[in-house]
Amino acid sequence: MNEIFVFFLHGLAYAGLLFLVSAGLTMIFGMMNVLNFAHAAMYMLGAYFSYTVLRVTGHFWLSLVLCPVILFIIGALVERFLMRRVHIHGHLHELLLTFGLAYIITEIVKWVWGNYPLAVNLEGFLAQSINIFGILYPVYRIFIFFCAVLVGLSMALILYKTRLGVTLRASVNDGEMVEALGINVPLVLTGVFAFGTALSGFAGVIAGPLLSTYPGMAQEILVDAFVVIVVGGFGSLGGAVVASLLIGELQSFGVLLFPKLSLALVYLLMAIVLIVKPSGLFGEKQ
Amino acid sequence: MISRKKGTYPYIAVLFLLGLLAPLVLREYHVYMLTEIIIFALYAVSYNLLLGYAGLLSFGHAMFFGTGAFTVAVSLIHIPALPVWGAILIAILATTLVGFVTGGFLLRHKGAYFALLTLAFNALFYAVATKWSSVTGGDDGLSVTRPDIHLGFTTINTAGIVNFYYVTLVVIGAAIVFCWYLTRTAMGQTVLLMRENEERMKFLGYDTNISRLILFTFTGAVAGLAGAFYTLQFQFVSISAISVEMTTAALLMAFVGGTGTFWGPILGAFVYIILQSYLSDLTDRWPLFMGLIFVFMVLVIPGGLSQIIQRIQGLFSGKGSSESSSGPETEEVSP
Repeated sequence: MNEIFVFFLHGLAYAGLLFLVSAGLTMIFGMMNVLNFAHAAMYMLGAYFSYTVLRVTGHFWLSLVLCPVILFIIGALVERFLMRRVHIHGHLHELLLTFGLAYIITEIVKWVWGNYPLAVNLEGFLAQSINIFGILYPVYRIFIFFCAVLVGLSMALILYKTRLGVTLRASVNDGEMVEALGINVPLVLTGVFAFGTALSGFAGVIAGPLLSTYPGMAQEILVDAFVVIVVGGFGSLGGAVVASLLIGELQSFGVLLFPKLSLALVYLLMAIVLIVKPSGLFGEKQ
Repeated sequence: MISRKKGTYPYIAVLFLLGLLAPLVLREYHVYMLTEIIIFALYAVSYNLLLGYAGLLSFGHAMFFGTGAFTVAVSLIHIPALPVWGAILIAILATTLVGFVTGGFLLRHKGAYFALLTLAFNALFYAVATKWSSVTGGDDGLSVTRPDIHLGFTTINTAGIVNFYYVTLVVIGAAIVFCWYLTRTAMGQTVLLMRENEERMKFLGYDTNISRLILFTFTGAVAGLAGAFYTLQFQFVSISAISVEMTTAALLMAFVGGTGTFWGPILGAFVYIILQSYLSDLTDRWPLFMGLIFVFMVLVIPGGLSQIIQRIQGLFSGKGSSESSSGPETEEVSP
């Protein structure tokens, strides 16, 4: 019984991480209609920057604030100087561009930090374990889950309860109209892309101490994040929440129950969802 | 941008003749490389039928390439005295089946959705190939010996690379020409027009879903054939044949050569293999340079190398740059 509970908590932690990665991805997709292949590479950059910040300063909280800011700037620059240039050629070229960027970032990371795993060790409160219903459980995994909840709630609040959120959603539906109202839509899109990139950087910092930091981490999470988006429904934040939870738990219990099949279970879920509802659980019909 | 002139056959004949003569002047190492180029040219061509003609960006083409590659290896290992043709045929049948089944799922979506799903399916195939090590050899891969080819009246000893090169040239060359021929047929034109205006094609009574599924299955089988020859050439197959990198390779070749033309991806395969070979001799960082070249091309030359060639042709024929490619006899095929 205790074991099942532990695996359930493990699943929650991974679901939290998955949500942090896929929230930015699904937001960029939903608003700009760009499938950002570089998203996971940005997540990896976040993890590596955080590793360096930790080595230099030793402050995890500092890297948790600093790295997303750096990634925000990188995201803004990428959108402004690269994405916008190929926008006229259509979405295919935007997609190819992010794809090439992912390639380059992965190679640069291998070059700068080496092609081997780096361990990130925590100190202080986050490195401890606490007692939950008689089980000693690492604080850090619970911390990940709470980060995800916090990010999810604030995103929902901003999108649906503020003027900024209204502007954002309106820009997606009718950019020309919003433009006519005197709002700088290209700037809004740059902001969306930069924010999504910062979010992936945040997820990378979080992932560092949980998984190790290595050049393959981008591709590993990218596929899972894509499955989250497919299962949850393209561009749906609520869908991302539910799908992250489903896949996080499925991964966790898959390892426990069917160790040989655990990798395939996620795709099996995806196939079932696709057969039953091709647009995803919360997706709108195309 | 594919011209409808009848004059393509002489060019094909010249290319084929050059291919026949190549081993006489090239060193064995280069013949080996040329074999690889021809195999990847077919792979890139099949990819471009999806990307350039149907406008479907797939990140899962390696699942066909890899399935073909593994099927040949597995059937040569487990079926005694199986002729090469038999193994290749089994590979084509297997990839046709894979294409038909996955196509059924994947083609329900379009654009970015489709791209994302193909990537996930490729990951599924990769996962299966990694885990099912009793069949695929897992991380170690499979080694096979290239069997001799019996033609009835004679036997070709394929142990030497030059003999195998000629087999590749004839078989793969014929497959490429067949793909080209297909793009001229009603089927090929349907796919092309479907990309431009699907609603109208539906209205005209075409079942666009069936056409798309046929094309998808066909490109899968063709990629499977390329994969089969890939195994035969290297006499070895590993899970890298089914990896995302293998899909990426097709994408890069097609894009570098130019997705707007039929022959562009062949040029792309040529450039890609040679560039990869020389860059990897020069530096360990060659993937970085490949990535930089790719991004540069996306930003500056979205039409690939064929765009440059057409510009130059345009300059010489004195018609100006971009107008030269859009006469009444030509059709735009850039996605």
